[in-house]
Amino acid sequence: MVLPPNVSEADFNAALGEFRSAVGANWVFSSDEDVALYRDSYSINWGEPDERVASAAVASAKVEEVQQIVRVANRYRIPLYPISTGRNLTYGGSAPNMRGSVVVDLKRMNRILDVDEKRAFALVEPGVSYFDLYNHIRERNLKLMLDVPDPGWGSPMGNSLDHGAGYTMAAFRDHFSSHCGMEVVTPDGEVIRTGMGAVPNSDSWQDFYYGAGPSVDGLFAQSNFGIVTKMGFWLMPMPEAILSGTVTVPRHQDLDPLVYEVSYLEDLGLTGMPQYGSPVGRSAFGPGAAAMASLMQNGWPSAAAVENFVAAQKLPAWSVQLYFYGPEETVRGTWQAAKRRIGKAIAGATFQDGEFLTLPIPKEKEPTQSDKPRLGIPALEVFNMVARNAGNTTNPPDGHADLFVTIPRKAAALWESAHVLFEAYKELGLPAQQNPFPTPFTYYSRCFWTGTTVPTWRDPEKNARSRALFEKVMNRCAEHGWVGYRTSPAFQDLLISKYSFNNNSLLRFQEKLKDSIDPNGIISPGRYGIWPASMRKNRA
Amino acid sequence: MVDRRSVLKIGAATVAGVVVKMPLSGRSLSAGRAQVVLHRAVFDDRFTECRDFAAELHSAGVFTSAIRGDVAKLWYDDLRVHLRENRLPVAGLTDRVALFCLEELARDVGMRVIFRADHVMDQDGHSQHTAAGTASLAARARDLPQAGFGRTTAVLLSEFDLSEPRDMAAQKLTGPFSPENKTALVTWLIA
Repeated sequence: MVLPPNVSEADFNAALGEFRSAVGANWVFSSDEDVALYRDSYSINWGEPDERVASAAVASAKVEEVQQIVRVANRYRIPLYPISTGRNLTYGGSAPNMRGSVVVDLKRMNRILDVDEKRAFALVEPGVSYFDLYNHIRERNLKLMLDVPDPGWGSPMGNSLDHGAGYTMAAFRDHFSSHCGMEVVTPDGEVIRTGMGAVPNSDSWQDFYYGAGPSVDGLFAQSNFGIVTKMGFWLMPMPEAILSGTVTVPRHQDLDPLVYEVSYLEDLGLTGMPQYGSPVGRSAFGPGAAAMASLMQNGWPSAAAVENFVAAQKLPAWSVQLYFYGPEETVRGTWQAAKRRIGKAIAGATFQDGEFLTLPIPKEKEPTQSDKPRLGIPALEVFNMVARNAGNTTNPPDGHADLFVTIPRKAAALWESAHVLFEAYKELGLPAQQNPFPTPFTYYSRCFWTGTTVPTWRDPEKNARSRALFEKVMNRCAEHGWVGYRTSPAFQDLLISKYSFNNNSLLRFQEKLKDSIDPNGIISPGRYGIWPASMRKNRA
Repeated sequence: MVDRRSVLKIGAATVAGVVVKMPLSGRSLSAGRAQVVLHRAVFDDRFTECRDFAAELHSAGVFTSAIRGDVAKLWYDDLRVHLRENRLPVAGLTDRVALFCLEELARDVGMRVIFRADHVMDQDGHSQHTAAGTASLAARARDLPQAGFGRTTAVLLSEFDLSEPRDMAAQKLTGPFSPENKTALVTWLIA
């Protein structure tokens, strides 16, 4: 049995007894095999003394029970770690930030409290998954569309509170910024509602985000200032149609104007999430492998060498797939406008019409529909894609840790970041995966994310090497001002240390809040670098 | 998703699970041993071994459900509902991805993987078997045949005694990934 730090076994057992009184004996889990269910399947510390494992779990069914749990935890100084569905693999999964915490599993709080078709919002509890909300909408034939992450087994609440993102229009795929109103149990057991939810009898909780006065919602994301028990989300009205189209451009340097033109369309709200690609880069995983190896054999190639390489491959350097959501006249017209603008800006650009779909997609056609998340359909198919990657070895990893950093939305930054990652891998004596054809992640419309994926194992020695690589890359990127937006608990202290302007004044401000709001430090100690005063010495 | 013949044959009894008593003659591992109550047998119908596994359990009266990779529909529309009511064991022979997802999802109903036998098959059809979890199953699963292991593991699971002491070795043993150029299937029991 793992105990919470600085808590005696007697006190821990007493606390478990009070948790049982609060939620019922069947909903407090303390046996080894039950607690093991909450281990992070992708842990980079698996089986090591500092693996972040829980001491127990408690599953509440209603907000009053959460309040009771918090009060008990305060009495016994038990650290709590709330999860909604606990599926954010690569970012900690269902395991706590600090070893010995009691997981507050909110899976039983799974009510869809309201879905308003005409005002296009939903109000949900933490245990509602994207699948649940999707099915609710479909069963009632509501003309609403979800924006879902991939995989879609998480919850709207958990995903948004971890700054997760989806695949449709910018206004909806930033899941936290598309929320409107939350209910929170604060560390002292109080219940607060934000925005218009603070107004008795208001019917506008999910209509107007701010209410009046300071907005505090952001304090409850990637943090430890309370346990969120309800959350509202703005939903996308179901568009009449979705049209996709693919643009290719011939030269390596064409990425710069392509990014500008695509961003222009997206910032006007005319397109959904662009999917950048590189036919030349993709070829390196197949027939172009030898040519790419030759290009990279003497280190990072010059711009001229890259351009010559592209010409020799007889493939377009870049592609981007665009998605348009709206009435048929609008999506077809916008695609025409995109062709006109990009064709004028980039010599040799080509355009291919993609799939045209009218919505709703008939239920019987859903299973065979490709690219479901783009259509707002939750799926788990992404696991089938990654599990048999070409990159798999004869001894595949047990999981992975993702390191994505935020860079400016421009081609030069993308190329530079690929070069920096390439050199970092070489310094560690590892095969560098990067080449001059990186493609950005565009989940957040105003920036690019780029980065790498590090394997995780059940083998401590291999994990030690992976941690060294992860830290090396994170440090190297930070030297250029490229820092992650989210990371696994093992690296959260390091990540937050990079946000160091004015002697870490942002973190010090957050710590002042923590000390005031949660003096006993019971909520998620260490989450995103915020430790309670009594544990601050633990900071890396 | 759900085999229609099974529905007709088993009817309402499937909600409470079905007691398996396998026809063991000809391939008996230890004829006449225990029975197990299975709520469901899940199989990936893209693979012969998985289909054989399902056929064997189906012939013994077990409700079977076919998947093709993604388990989402099976879980959210079907299994989760039944298992919340009655946590009877679910057996399967699928690829690693399906088991990985089901193992994570099963936490929602307080269930876990208590046995798994991984069958890593190369392109020549050669299979390598490893097993972990409940001792009696793990011991016997290490001697599985190169081909035809689907039927054999079905029989093996049918003989399992659920009251046997559990071993946590099978829990979260690995991720969803398959070795390069190989197919990793898994026989599993979630209880």
